[in-house]
Amino acid sequence: MFLKEYIQDIYGAVKSLLIGMRRTGYYFTNHKEIITQQYPDNKATLNLSERFRGEVVMIHDENNEHACTGCTACELACPNATIKIITQFDISPDGKKKKALNKFVYHLDLCTMCNLCIVACPTDAIKMANTFEHSVFDRSKLTKILNNPDSKIRAGIE
Amino acid sequence: MANSSIIFYILSALILTTAILSVTTLKIFRAAIWLLFSLIGIAGLYFWLSVEFIAAVQIIVYVGGIVVLIIFSIFLTQQSGKGMQKNSLRRIIAATIAIAIGFVMTSLLIFQFDFKLENKIFDSGIAKIGTQMLSVEKDGFALPFEVVSILLLAAMVGCIVIAIKSKPQEK
Amino acid sequence: MPSLENIANFIHNWLYTTFNATVALLLEFTIVAILVIGLFSVLGLVLIFMERKVSAYMQVRLGPNRVGPKGIFQTVADTLKLMVKEGMTPNNADKFLFNLAPFIVMTAAMLILAPLAFAKNFQIWDINIGVLFVTAISSVSVIGILMAGWASNNKYSLLGAMRSGAQIVSYELSAGLSIITIVVLSESLKISTIIESQANGWWIFKGHIPAIIAFVIFIIAVTAETNRAPFDLAEAESELTAGFHTEYSGMKFALFFLAEYVNIFIVCVIGATLFLGGWMPLHFGTNTTFNEMMDYIPSSLWLFGKTFFLIFVIMWFRWTFPRLRIDQLLNLEWKYLLPISMINLLLATAMAILGWHF
Repeated sequence: MFLKEYIQDIYGAVKSLLIGMRRTGYYFTNHKEIITQQYPDNKATLNLSERFRGEVVMIHDENNEHACTGCTACELACPNATIKIITQFDISPDGKKKKALNKFVYHLDLCTMCNLCIVACPTDAIKMANTFEHSVFDRSKLTKILNNPDSKIRAGIE
Repeated sequence: MANSSIIFYILSALILTTAILSVTTLKIFRAAIWLLFSLIGIAGLYFWLSVEFIAAVQIIVYVGGIVVLIIFSIFLTQQSGKGMQKNSLRRIIAATIAIAIGFVMTSLLIFQFDFKLENKIFDSGIAKIGTQMLSVEKDGFALPFEVVSILLLAAMVGCIVIAIKSKPQEK
Repeated sequence: MPSLENIANFIHNWLYTTFNATVALLLEFTIVAILVIGLFSVLGLVLIFMERKVSAYMQVRLGPNRVGPKGIFQTVADTLKLMVKEGMTPNNADKFLFNLAPFIVMTAAMLILAPLAFAKNFQIWDINIGVLFVTAISSVSVIGILMAGWASNNKYSLLGAMRSGAQIVSYELSAGLSIITIVVLSESLKISTIIESQANGWWIFKGHIPAIIAFVIFIIAVTAETNRAPFDLAEAESELTAGFHTEYSGMKFALFFLAEYVNIFIVCVIGATLFLGGWMPLHFGTNTTFNEMMDYIPSSLWLFGKTFFLIFVIMWFRWTFPRLRIDQLLNLEWKYLLPISMINLLLATAMAILGWHF
């Protein structure tokens, strides 16, 4: 019936609008959910979300060992050539030659924080860090080498 | 000169200047705006006469209704932003003659009519207007009121008939 | 006890005993004009700050918090910025109308202030058609908007002005009908009489269902009339940059902006006057102890409290609801609000004749 639908329409509309207003009213009266960071003031207690993407870093453990095999999967995955991997050949104790990472070159100035390299990495050697204060006076400082000097691959990672 | 007559002359000057500007301007939108000011001036004259109801209705009907309608039709007209052509001399002469004749006729009418001054306080209350509007006794306006209502209803039905979408014919 | 009424009477008497009638009248005009302009500028500052804070908290943000404690001087700083900004006029614009438009909008807003009662016996002009006067003048401000849109010589402005015109003209109907509902119940158009009629209870309580429906429709309609979200498609940023005031900058833009907020204030005062008793304290029937207790709160505080409550509700709408499309907007008015308010008016009339209200 026409009249019934008409009244139902009005009822549904009013109800959904009131639900929306209850939500915003809740936010208005409860201030604990405010997400604004008053940045330079609260530098010490800055609370960034876990998934915030600041820059790519390589994970090193306490023995200065990383998990990068130099497979260049991240380099291939990168859409704008931010990563350049320089490999070398290590001689293993039993005399075999083995491909290993020499330098993980990362151009922060080209990076769009798209996260594709992290997804592509088969050994979870790199991750996105929360740091974001990247401004420098010289562009060349944005080209970084991610593996620590003298670091080596963790045993058992192929 | 009394204060009230100063206000009267200011209002009349406003009405007349804007009315003349409205017919002499060559830009159509400006003509509408000058007309608007002229109508507002007339509403001001009604306020001056302390018939506030008529004044408010003047503003609602003419300013809020008619002028907005005129402006909308200007908006929807092609090339209305360009100025109009200058009037030819013949037109100007004809218009002047028409104005002169109209002016003479109206002033003759006004001066020949025998206005009587009545020492009665004019009651412009809304309640009075309302009862008179629907009164069926002598000097009541029930019949004109109903006739106007039917006219407006007919106009509205006509609008809907024009505006309604005809359903596609089913085969 | 110093109330606004006493102060006004004192000034009035002093002026008329010191000067002759004409001079005193002119001086009163000047005082009223200064007061109105002062009220407008204070309102602009307060309401814009309030809007920014309310929107911030509703969107889980902090809002302005740098200029002064809690950011209370932010709008003052913004006003200073707007004052020193260059007011530009587009090259092919109709310069006269372009510069005139903001003043028309502002003047209309000032005129509506005349019959409003701000406290007990504190009113600029207690005209006997008060409510009708308000409706009449509010239809003038649409001309200013249309003028601004046309004179800017910009397609966005023109589109925004046309939308705004269509919207204001159609929503005036249901706003008017819901005002008439209260006029029917209180049997007067005069603002002071309407307020007096609420001495034993506000209309929203005394008028049962028709008054409540009329109140809801009034709030929706005036939200649309003041071009605010969810009805802000006249200046829809994502489609029309800024609608009719796209080309305005500096102080002329500020006038439009101020007029928007002043209009919100005005419609909320009208809503408070008609439905929530204006300056009348909360009274229930003839319960004298309760009524007397309520009378201790000054009448101006009552009015401003109610008004700011309504303003807050309208802001709440704005920061909750998404914008309507033009067809949805016109559907809402012509298919829902108008029929409902017409039936509601009929109900209210029956109720007034049969004396069913308290």
